[in-house]
Amino acid sequence: MRARVWAATAAVCMLAGGAFGKDVEIGAVFPMSGTNAIYGDVFKSGADLAAEHINADHMLKEPLKILYEDSQALPQPAVVAMTKLVEVKQVPYVLSAFTGVSKAISTLAQRSQTVAVNGGGVGPDLAKLGDYFWNVIPLANLEVRAMVPYLAKHGMKKVALVYVDDPLGQSILDELNANLPKVDGKLVAELSVPTSTQNFSGIAAKVRASGADAVYIASYGAQQIQIAKQLRDNGVKAQLASYSGFSTPDALKLPQAEGLLYTTQAVNYKAGDKVTQRFLADYQKAHDGKKPSAYIVNYYNAVLLFGILAQKLEEAGKPITGANLLAERKATKSFDLVGGTVSFQDNGTLLAPIQVNKIVDGAGQPQETVDIN
Amino acid sequence: MEAYLLNLGVLVSIYAILAVTLNFIMGYAGIFSLAHAVFFGVGAYVGAQMAMHVSASLFVTIPAAMVVAALLSLALALPALRVRGEYFVAASLGLQMLAITVFSEWKGATGGIGGLVGIPAVRMFGEDIYRPAAFFPLAAAVAVLVLIVTRLLVHSSFGRSLTAIRDSESAAESFGKNIALIKTISVVVSAALAAVAGVLYANYLSFINVESFTLNTSVLVMAMVIIGGTGTALGPVVGAALLLILPGLLSYLWFLPQTEIGAIQQIIYGLGMAVLMIFRPGGLVGRSAGARKRRKRDALKAAAGQSEARKMEGAK
Repeated sequence: MRARVWAATAAVCMLAGGAFGKDVEIGAVFPMSGTNAIYGDVFKSGADLAAEHINADHMLKEPLKILYEDSQALPQPAVVAMTKLVEVKQVPYVLSAFTGVSKAISTLAQRSQTVAVNGGGVGPDLAKLGDYFWNVIPLANLEVRAMVPYLAKHGMKKVALVYVDDPLGQSILDELNANLPKVDGKLVAELSVPTSTQNFSGIAAKVRASGADAVYIASYGAQQIQIAKQLRDNGVKAQLASYSGFSTPDALKLPQAEGLLYTTQAVNYKAGDKVTQRFLADYQKAHDGKKPSAYIVNYYNAVLLFGILAQKLEEAGKPITGANLLAERKATKSFDLVGGTVSFQDNGTLLAPIQVNKIVDGAGQPQETVDIN
Repeated sequence: MEAYLLNLGVLVSIYAILAVTLNFIMGYAGIFSLAHAVFFGVGAYVGAQMAMHVSASLFVTIPAAMVVAALLSLALALPALRVRGEYFVAASLGLQMLAITVFSEWKGATGGIGGLVGIPAVRMFGEDIYRPAAFFPLAAAVAVLVLIVTRLLVHSSFGRSLTAIRDSESAAESFGKNIALIKTISVVVSAALAAVAGVLYANYLSFINVESFTLNTSVLVMAMVIIGGTGTALGPVVGAALLLILPGLLSYLWFLPQTEIGAIQQIIYGLGMAVLMIFRPGGLVGRSAGARKRRKRDALKAAAGQSEARKMEGAK
């Protein structure tokens, strides 16, 4: 009997663990398991570094703590995780990633007045998820507007598109159709692929036949790597191009992706501002001199943004709630984040310059920065 | 905390409906389907479209979803049920693959891969029902209703025909049972009731996309049935509760790093399934291996006794 009482007490203590303490808590719904867990690790490294800096600077009265929940990059586990963060932990701010997950949690965010911040998904439909859903990442439609003039300037006016037929792929198709004529360019092939397809030899043949100067790849995860690999293996010599989804470590290291052009949010690491230099120095110190990817910057910025807003609320004597964070963001015109000073559009999406990068020796090298209006 | 538990309660209720309806064909008719998520998805998409464009009342969305799922299952069951056992599993797998492609590509109806966002909450008696505290009683009531309907069917003459087919198709046929008709009706009933779960799911999450209706979901529902107890009344409900609450419970164990919980969960599932199949092949609610052996031994003894008696009678 006594053993049972002890066991029950231990169980209650276990469940109650972490419920005590005065930390300022925010949440993160990231893929921590499954095939997309690699992204969760990448996002987490950026968010953790920002929390470390906020705490080191004592920006907030109490230490900031990020509560991570596993979304498996799927809508239903994400809703369960979000409910826990909102209802049990009562966090005012949640980091989100992946389009399906972001859409799934957006309703809960709206209803509970909790700010959800995306720093990974770039589907343009993410700009329409309500006041409480923010994007600290320029969405894919803006990225195409930077890539097209760059390609044209380098004599690549005939473009073929290989895309997943989803809102992301569709928006890239629309943007290419709208922007190529402006530079006397032409979309010579539009080839849609189902998400599950892994064999692209047929697509490669069509790309070769189209005579394209450049091939734009609009996919994600393992599939985009397969597309780049198989296009090259099947004799496609045209310039490869893509969007920020290609800036994952495994995609950059792919030998066949050498020379591929991709766009990201412009991060001017050479900028002399304190925020960028500190981020870069500390990240490289912790990761053997490795350069951070755009995703790491975005989640660092997402947490830093919370720190800035929460600090202002504390100074004004207001509680840190989702509604107050939203009001404070709307009242603040610009923010000093990694990469420079940025501002938000009315729909809660970051407006930032876009950078065209080239993969050289398995790493992205910035080529040109384009201001998007 | 209360809302979190109620939220889990809603999901358990929805998946219990799926598990109970799969158990209806799997446990009683012996039809192993790997396409149950298809009818879940059909229900969700039809329910969502009706809620977005016609009415968010369950009295409109549920009947519409049930009719569409039933018709679809009818069209598919008629040719597919001509094959038996493992061949039907393969056929249902094909259907699952086909449905995923349709869900992903038919943008007008399903929103494509992007899915449908902003599905209105259930509207009943002039109120929007979306908070876990309000939705849980509704979902639980529907789950209980589905459970009652399936129990009534199982205990009817139709249910006895189903079990006869499960135990021996040839024997049932020799007794004049119309195998194809009975199997088709059971699949239609199961699909229509699974669609109810889809409607609730779409209304509750207010967002659906193809990721919720993949083969993984079909396998998960089948695991719920097997773990809980195939051919039992409450087994599927227990299986659904266990498989949905376990991940949530694990996430509360603060000494487990969040990054490892997914892997630990998979290990627990795998080990649990293996141990269960060894010691309780009938599932948690089903008979234990020992009870099965005893029952078999008793039956053999009884048979041996009868044959002994017949021999003695013959000797006389």
